[in-house]
Amino acid sequence: MRNTLAIAWRELRTYFASPLAYVVIGVFVLLSGYIFWASLVRFSDLCLRYGNNPYVFNQLNVNDMVIRPLFGSIGVIFLLMLPAVSMRLLAEERRTGTAELLFTCPVTTLQIVLGKYLGAGLLLIVMLAITFVYPLLILTKVSPDMGPALVGYAGVLLLGLTILAIGLFVSSLTENQIVAAVGAFGVNLLLWAIAWAAEAAESYTLAGLINSATAGLWEKVGGGTGGPTLGDLLTRLSITEHLQDFRKGLIDTEHVVFFVTAIVFALFLTQRVLDSRRWR
Amino acid sequence: MIEVNGLTKLYGVRAAVADVTFAVRKGEVLGFLGPNGAGKTTTMRILTGFVPASSGRARVAGFDVQDDPIEVKRRIGYLPEHPPLYDEMTVRPYLEFVATIRGVPRREVKAKVDRGLERCGLTAVQGRLIALLSKGYQQRVGLAQAILHEPDVLILDEPTVGLDPSQIREIRQLIRSFGGDHTVILSTHILAEVAVTCQRVLIINEGRIAAEGTPEGLASRGERTRRIEIRLARPDGAADGLASLPGVLRVDRGEGAEKTLVIETDASRDLREEIAVRAVGQNWGLLEMRTLTPSLEDIFIRIIRGETV
Repeated sequence: MRNTLAIAWRELRTYFASPLAYVVIGVFVLLSGYIFWASLVRFSDLCLRYGNNPYVFNQLNVNDMVIRPLFGSIGVIFLLMLPAVSMRLLAEERRTGTAELLFTCPVTTLQIVLGKYLGAGLLLIVMLAITFVYPLLILTKVSPDMGPALVGYAGVLLLGLTILAIGLFVSSLTENQIVAAVGAFGVNLLLWAIAWAAEAAESYTLAGLINSATAGLWEKVGGGTGGPTLGDLLTRLSITEHLQDFRKGLIDTEHVVFFVTAIVFALFLTQRVLDSRRWR
Repeated sequence: MIEVNGLTKLYGVRAAVADVTFAVRKGEVLGFLGPNGAGKTTTMRILTGFVPASSGRARVAGFDVQDDPIEVKRRIGYLPEHPPLYDEMTVRPYLEFVATIRGVPRREVKAKVDRGLERCGLTAVQGRLIALLSKGYQQRVGLAQAILHEPDVLILDEPTVGLDPSQIREIRQLIRSFGGDHTVILSTHILAEVAVTCQRVLIINEGRIAAEGTPEGLASRGERTRRIEIRLARPDGAADGLASLPGVLRVDRGEGAEKTLVIETDASRDLREEIAVRAVGQNWGLLEMRTLTPSLEDIFIRIIRGETV
């Protein structure tokens, strides 16, 4: 535990000793702030315009029109920006030779992985914490429902942590930071876009696909051809699809399990990559 | 303290280390000597648990490197060939970080770091950014991170590379001061270094141990003749006069300075007294006499060329 914290703390210091943390936080706050401001202006404009039309006015909701879109935007910004945070985590250690220090100290590879991950995760939390002024700002004028807002924060935090875990894994595979960033981008964008084919894949059931792959054997041994479709699978794999319910203020264990599983799996793979050094 | 048995490391089909066996006693300072690419670094990396051996065993303080890596790493201080420094950190926090992950108890971290800074002469630069330190200071920071938890075993891969002569001297003194309490293995391709710092030398070439012994033992090994250099004020006729002494094999003109002669004699006999007596008796004007010991360089070159010594 102490080793993990020491590695995490050193990692966080490094972020703030280099321009990286400031650039990432600055750009992130600028983008999310602009998007927040834009939806807030649109919301207040609509309120003004329909102020004397009680039917429409009652439909206007600050949660739906300002806070919920904000989390969607933050999710997209994370997909594009967090690879820059995760790229150096392990790649840089290998390039500069400091990996030789870490791997010859009495620390386990799991402690190294968790320490690195925690360090990046803390930066993510700092980024998100700054954006918390947005709902607080609204709170001074109107009273949004803070419950769904907090759930939304939990959702983007889980999304960000998942992206970081994937980025950490990719970073363990190379000693080139650019390769690590592009690789993480690729995986993230694929996980984002994977659901786009879902509609077209609605007509294929998974069992049906297995059946044709085994030349009808599946059906003969009693496997049905009904059940979930390929489209369902693709939707469930999409990283952004799992954010939708959080944005609405719903905590569904399905999505929590998805994110947590993805994180644990990515960290496990990273640990295996680091350990493979010992049997190669 | 360290036992290595039949250690082999293959990279593809090439053996970086081939069937290396040696042992180091507690408190001993052992030097790995060999040309670049001889397998020194690989052997050290196996001992520190950074890379696994393909076959063979290595034990440090009774713990197997492959089976108990954490226990081994607890007892080792390691300075790799390129000091593993985080450029964006300042010296003190860097050493505190290393002390923590090397398992120094929280209460002792400050004291141990202070002592490490002092021993390596870094107290004045403890607040400086590592990236901005000179190569010599960076090397010292590297050494400080290796010694600050006071390990039983210190493994130093070319510890004096990139230092200026006075720094080299300081570092060598520091390394010597570790012998006795700590076991030290250091690698180098500089021969003078082993002669000064090590009690025992392993000459490694192409992954194999080519020779082993004390620096003096290696230097004197295989010398069938003894060479004495004398300087005379009036050397006319001296060469012939000395050649007639029993036991003298050859008399040559010395290199460099005029009026010097190099006398090669049978290794079993010490003819210095006879030479002196004759020189005085013939009134050649004896100014200087010294025994020429073959340099470690000569031995080293001969060993790695595969000549028998």
